[in-house]
Amino acid sequence: MNPRKYLVGAIGMAIAVVVAACGGTSNTPGNESGTLTVWLMTGSAPPSVVEGVNADFKAKHPNVTVKVELQNWGDISTKLDTGFAGSTPPDVVELGNTMVAKYAAAGALEDISGKKSSFDNSGTWLQSLTDSCTLNGKLYCAPYYAGSRAVIYRKDMFAAANVQPPTSMDELLTVGQKLMTAHSSDPNFSALYFPGKYWYAALPFVWDFGGDIATQSGGKWQGSLNSSGSQQGLTTLANLVSKLSKADKTGDEAKQDAAFAGGHIAMIIANGWEIGVITDAKAGNPSLKDKLGVFPIPSHNAGQSAPVFLGGSDLGVAAKSKNQALANEWIELLTGTKHMSDMATVGGVIPNTTTMLSLGTGLNAIFFAAAKNSRFVPNSRNWASVESANVIPDMLVSIFTGKAQLPAATTSASDKITTILNGS
Amino acid sequence: MIAPGTAHQGVRLGRVSAEARAGYRISFRGRTGRLLADAAGLAVFALMAFPIYWMIATAFKPGRDILSLTPKWFPAPFTLQNFEDAIARPFFLDDVKNSVLIVGGTVLLSLALAFLAAVAVARFGFRGRTAFIILIIGVQMVPLNALIIPLYLMLDGVGQTDTLAGVIAVYLAVVLPFMIWTLRGFVANVPVELEEAAMIDGCTRVEAFMRVVFPLIGPGLVATAIFGFIQAWNEYIIAYVLLASPENQTLTVWLASFTTNHGPEWGPLMAAATLTGLPVVAFFLVLQRWLAGGLTAGAVKG
Amino acid sequence: MGAAITTRDLGPVLHRPRRRRFNHLPYALITPASLAMFGILAFPLGMLVWLSLQHYGLRELIAHQGTWVGLDNFRVTIADPLFQQVVVRSLLFTVANVALTIIFSTLIALLMLKVSRPVRTILMGGLIFVWATPVIVAIDIWQWMFDYEFGVINYLLTQLHVGNFIHHNWFDDPLQGFIVITVVTVWGAIPFVTITLFAALLQVPDDVLEAASIDGARPWQIFWNVTAPILKPIFLIVTSLSTIWDFGIFNQVYVLLNQRPSSDYFVMAVYSYRESFGVTQYGLGAAIAVVMVLILIVVTFFYVRQTLQTAEIT
Repeated sequence: MNPRKYLVGAIGMAIAVVVAACGGTSNTPGNESGTLTVWLMTGSAPPSVVEGVNADFKAKHPNVTVKVELQNWGDISTKLDTGFAGSTPPDVVELGNTMVAKYAAAGALEDISGKKSSFDNSGTWLQSLTDSCTLNGKLYCAPYYAGSRAVIYRKDMFAAANVQPPTSMDELLTVGQKLMTAHSSDPNFSALYFPGKYWYAALPFVWDFGGDIATQSGGKWQGSLNSSGSQQGLTTLANLVSKLSKADKTGDEAKQDAAFAGGHIAMIIANGWEIGVITDAKAGNPSLKDKLGVFPIPSHNAGQSAPVFLGGSDLGVAAKSKNQALANEWIELLTGTKHMSDMATVGGVIPNTTTMLSLGTGLNAIFFAAAKNSRFVPNSRNWASVESANVIPDMLVSIFTGKAQLPAATTSASDKITTILNGS
Repeated sequence: MIAPGTAHQGVRLGRVSAEARAGYRISFRGRTGRLLADAAGLAVFALMAFPIYWMIATAFKPGRDILSLTPKWFPAPFTLQNFEDAIARPFFLDDVKNSVLIVGGTVLLSLALAFLAAVAVARFGFRGRTAFIILIIGVQMVPLNALIIPLYLMLDGVGQTDTLAGVIAVYLAVVLPFMIWTLRGFVANVPVELEEAAMIDGCTRVEAFMRVVFPLIGPGLVATAIFGFIQAWNEYIIAYVLLASPENQTLTVWLASFTTNHGPEWGPLMAAATLTGLPVVAFFLVLQRWLAGGLTAGAVKG
Repeated sequence: MGAAITTRDLGPVLHRPRRRRFNHLPYALITPASLAMFGILAFPLGMLVWLSLQHYGLRELIAHQGTWVGLDNFRVTIADPLFQQVVVRSLLFTVANVALTIIFSTLIALLMLKVSRPVRTILMGGLIFVWATPVIVAIDIWQWMFDYEFGVINYLLTQLHVGNFIHHNWFDDPLQGFIVITVVTVWGAIPFVTITLFAALLQVPDDVLEAASIDGARPWQIFWNVTAPILKPIFLIVTSLSTIWDFGIFNQVYVLLNQRPSSDYFVMAVYSYRESFGVTQYGLGAAIAVVMVLILIVVTFFYVRQTLQTAEIT
């Protein structure tokens, strides 16, 4: 590497000559020990919570400046890859829980197994979030918050069609069909609006019938979306989609809240915070506030609910960070009892511990409860590549659009997942 | 090789002659032809400008009218809410300032450097000239996205990742090849004889250049400045990757923050986009009368 | 090579002995620009080539330590059937888009000569506004206009009885998807090319056109036999620039398809970016980028040669 280092230096001088002329700002490495850099994603924590954490931190470390930098979701992996590769990475990083394994395996994150007990509630962290932070038995991040999905429905439409929230998947279909009949004059009406690439919402169907994305044995992964349980679940879902949904069979879920607010939809599978988007005064429809209800995604076994995908975020410390102790302390504050309860009550997101799931009130309670029966994607460092390759969304699209038969589509997706997860 | 006129003549010709020529066409085609042409021109305008209209109209619509199954052609009811929301975003003014600094720095530096290099390539034969020309053409073929990692690591090595200077340096390198190439044509279009005359009158070489040649390639400088302006003003991925601190970011990065994990916030995004586009349009409107003449004078010389 | 230029340019001006030929002024003039360009780009370009010869994943990126694999990345890439599709797709896309851009721009530029002054001003203003719109925003607007549910284009086509476009998905079928991508790309490319061509048309000498008209030539004959040859150098420039830009098309695919295009939509730049930042195989991504430049060099060879010839006799 030495020749390269030398070259970097030489080029650096050339740039210094060029940039010296333009009077731009330059950083001062001298006070770096005095600044803690935190990367959070846009929309993760309410500003009041971040301010609260920083105030508590300031009380302990008056000479340390905390810089919270909000990152955009688009191209986030490009930003993270370069950020971690650089010599001054952010000290604290929020990572989507499906991305942790990739960065942990690459050596970007510090192993914090030894510090686990210093975090509040670490004994009762949500299992799926803890799983997402764990690779080869080591802990690389602290669970931050979670999101689990349930069905948001229009109470007024249900009443008009004289139906009750379903308690099984079969009922979900019959209820949906009654709603479709009641609105047969509206060509845009969807009883259950399900965009084709919405794989987070498809997983409950796979898991409910005993299927899974992949299973691990003897250190080898084996894709299992073509197992009989997975196929049964996907068949059930495909049937629901073809009969109840007018959503874009090749689209994703980004627009579903706006579409729901538009008034031609009776049910969507959504996160708790999406209620706020639907009833937002500017972008949504506030008059729906009293017309919304929530029920858990029903299981095919009547009376039970299906396991849901637990989305969410974790907080890690960069391996190259020069302020690891401070970074840990900051994470301890944000993930601690005090600020977590604010996240739950002010932010309306599911906190990182089972002991606080009771903080969900009203409709939120159902989402919080769903987190108890939650699952996660295969915990492999290659999982992010499965996501990048769009394996599951592409499979769903080809099933829903009829481009491929279900057994063929699932087998092909399963083979791809096996290959990617076992890749070097 | 064709030399229909020198740069300055070309521009003057451009301004006056379009009318003259249009008149000459009329005499051949008559009024109907002109009306047909106008109608076609307006149709082309409508097709080209519709997306822009849609952006501006959306910026003035209240949220509920934006996502409706039946499009609303006009923003009625009309609201300024989206603009207020956009401007109220944190760091808006910082980002405006940064964009202006980055664009200003890039455009001024690149103009100066490109001008000098263009003079060398247009006026002198020297060893390595062909190689230089091939290099500046070749450099434009490398996709910028492929250079993200190398550029980041290099700037990281010299501590310039979160600085405006680092971004200016990258933009400078990216726009220079095109600018040198364009300016070369303009300089070549100014007859050497003009310089000679000035030197016979007692100017030094440099004086002759600054007093005689420099004013004549004004349109060329304007055209290349606009190109550099647009490139630097609209670039996203390099700015996003390099600039971590929100107070150091540019307007395009700010724009991207309107897209959240549940899709873009259309109203504020369109309002923000309108605001972001305005300075470029203003810059254009101020300079566009030189532009038409400018771009060609350089380009015709190939 | 430079003899003709030197004697013509400097000889009469300076009336000095030939030793002025070895003057260092041109080098002094190109030095600042060369330093800025190559000082900043030499290392990244070198590293790009170096990366393409390494096994370089995320772990290697963070550790700054790759494994030398020689030409393996190129072998893997070239043998990959997906890559072969991507090359063909990119080339077809480039040919179609460059052709459409040049044809439409030429027509609009010719039209601008014939319209009345106010219409020309309006048209010019519209073109400028299009050019000034940030690419990312422009793509957002188009994406939304072609939206499945709320898209104004589906609504309009249905209202105009072109067919039932309610809930029509433009990106379901890659061919239709690429038509949309082409619309967005050509729309964005037209202003620069049109304005350049229009300005060039203004410089075609009147007397030549007049003479041709009096000789009874038809308008398209005049264009083909008189105007087009005079415009040849500028056509060379805009064609080659468009070729370079369209072959490297990225945002119009990547952003239009919500940053996760399926492999049916991969073009060269998207594929390279995907391999780098999606699958974190930076070595492979770099190799694809290098191949991309090599293809461009072959494709634009004719232009570069012509350009160098033109430059020599200037």
